[in-house]
Amino acid sequence: MNMVDIKTKKVDQQELLMEKSIQSVITAIDEFDFDNITTIVQNCLDEGIDPLQIIQKGISKGLDIVGEKFDSGEYFLADLVMAGEIVNEVMPLLKENMNPGQSGQKGKIIMATVEGDIHEIGKNIVCMLLDANGYEVIDLGVDVTTEKILEKAKETGAHVIGLSCLLSTTIDGIKNLVESLEKEGIKNEVKVIIGGACTSEGLKTEMGADAYAETAIDAVKIVKNFTESGIAV
Amino acid sequence: MEGKTVDRVPTFCAGLEDRTFNEVLGQPLLKSSKLFLNPVAGMICNKWGPKITKPLVQPQISAGMEKRIKAAAELGFDATWALYDETFVILNSKKMARYYGSIFDAIDDGFGNITYMYSGPGITSRDEFEAWPYWPDADEVAQRSYKFYSKIVKKYGEKICLCGQASAYGIQEALLWTIGFEKVPIWVRREKDLVARFIDLAEELCLKTNMAMMDAGIEIILQSDDFAFKTGPMMNPKMINELFGPSYRRLIKAVHDRGGKYILHSCGDNTLLFDMFIDWGVDGLHAYENTSTVDIFNEKKMHGNQATIIGGVGIDYLLTERSKHSEIVDEVKMLIEKLSPGGRFLLGPIHGMSNMPAAKLKTMIDAAHEYGRYKN
Repeated sequence: MNMVDIKTKKVDQQELLMEKSIQSVITAIDEFDFDNITTIVQNCLDEGIDPLQIIQKGISKGLDIVGEKFDSGEYFLADLVMAGEIVNEVMPLLKENMNPGQSGQKGKIIMATVEGDIHEIGKNIVCMLLDANGYEVIDLGVDVTTEKILEKAKETGAHVIGLSCLLSTTIDGIKNLVESLEKEGIKNEVKVIIGGACTSEGLKTEMGADAYAETAIDAVKIVKNFTESGIAV
Repeated sequence: MEGKTVDRVPTFCAGLEDRTFNEVLGQPLLKSSKLFLNPVAGMICNKWGPKITKPLVQPQISAGMEKRIKAAAELGFDATWALYDETFVILNSKKMARYYGSIFDAIDDGFGNITYMYSGPGITSRDEFEAWPYWPDADEVAQRSYKFYSKIVKKYGEKICLCGQASAYGIQEALLWTIGFEKVPIWVRREKDLVARFIDLAEELCLKTNMAMMDAGIEIILQSDDFAFKTGPMMNPKMINELFGPSYRRLIKAVHDRGGKYILHSCGDNTLLFDMFIDWGVDGLHAYENTSTVDIFNEKKMHGNQATIIGGVGIDYLLTERSKHSEIVDEVKMLIEKLSPGGRFLLGPIHGMSNMPAAKLKTMIDAAHEYGRYKN
């Protein structure tokens, strides 16, 4: 065995070890291993794995699997939330170890519950999943005025705005925002996605939004589609 | 509810909010938000909120609950959700706490009336659970419920079928409100004893208030407990059954033992849960939210002879200002055509909502009367 072979073997072994460690992150998320996720991620960092790689190859992949199982009916909303909570538990640790500018590279997303509505569970789940998928999430909270969303969109150059709306009494918030974006001439630069109990494909068309997300997983898929295809970046 | 033949499809009212009952009964001289959401009332609530809840605020809420029932009868509904809701305490001018441990905001409904909206959990840790100061006294709540329903049955019992729910919210829903939906899966794993204590406490309140309502003459108990969201159950059905099934079986049996009927209201798509609900013993199921992925017509085929289907009419568009009366009539005709064969169908809104115009409900009821006659 010559030196090149030895070096190659060492690299292969290292890669194998890294793959194994990343796989344990995926498994921990898929199996909701709340108790051990921090140790698993810390081990990955100790092995010298880049935090961004842990997010992209481990956490995102784990969430994708949970999302697929949710779509197929094997997992339920509480499971999705549990996976999100597990990710939340380790994101600060990963962010701490990142180089400045590494976080939120995939795109900027503004999230808000429309004016007059203070329901936030659905919105929070979407925020959690987007954050875990490497997006910069600007969560404006609940009962947010059109003016505030518009101001934030202009200030941050956000690529997507996600509007949550549970009550049919508050759907004007969607229309007002779409009209304001048009008036400001930035409607083509930022995509508006709606979701929540009273929303539908029909309402999306009626209000002039760009997309309707039936579930939190759908919302992430739509955002990915908008940002990765260049529609919203 | 018993599967017996009736002459036409009955209509069910899923609760009327202030805007709607004020349209039916006449506008009050002073709207409730003017009365309560002003600086003077705010100062009083901030200073003495918990103390004034029982003597001053709860009677106002009860009067509103009675107005809902009265307006439903006047509109011509055959049955109504008769809610009585006094298990809360005013914390300050903007917030109230449910006895169960959750926090709600008092807000204007957009029509000058006060309404309340869930704002978050009241309990976030074991220490807070132990220290929560407002856990309900089930006997006291049951006694107050008895007084309210005795009066209601006497006044409206002959005019409209009253489906009672007294201050006891669904066990699962109350748990979600109290500790926050995001934390439930974690608590179920890590704080099993507290979850079990909470469920026992909620079951006791439901049982005692149900029996009090039946003592007062209520024959149908309606329990709201949103087990699902837009596309499916909140939790794994197996987990739902293990956690809440035993309580619901006991509660439903107690109602059946006294000759009563039991309706469960659950928003969202409950397709994966209907078999379980029926197994628990429910007689009727309400909501079948049209904006969810539930297929009410398929449910009629699957379970139409086991549980009465109640609801079907959307509040996202049809029962709002935005719809045309003719659209409501068309929807009612279609629902009756598809869901009435074989009986066990009550037509009505899938939910209450503060922006529902009384005129649209009237159109729905009139259409049900016109097109809902059963042929002999």
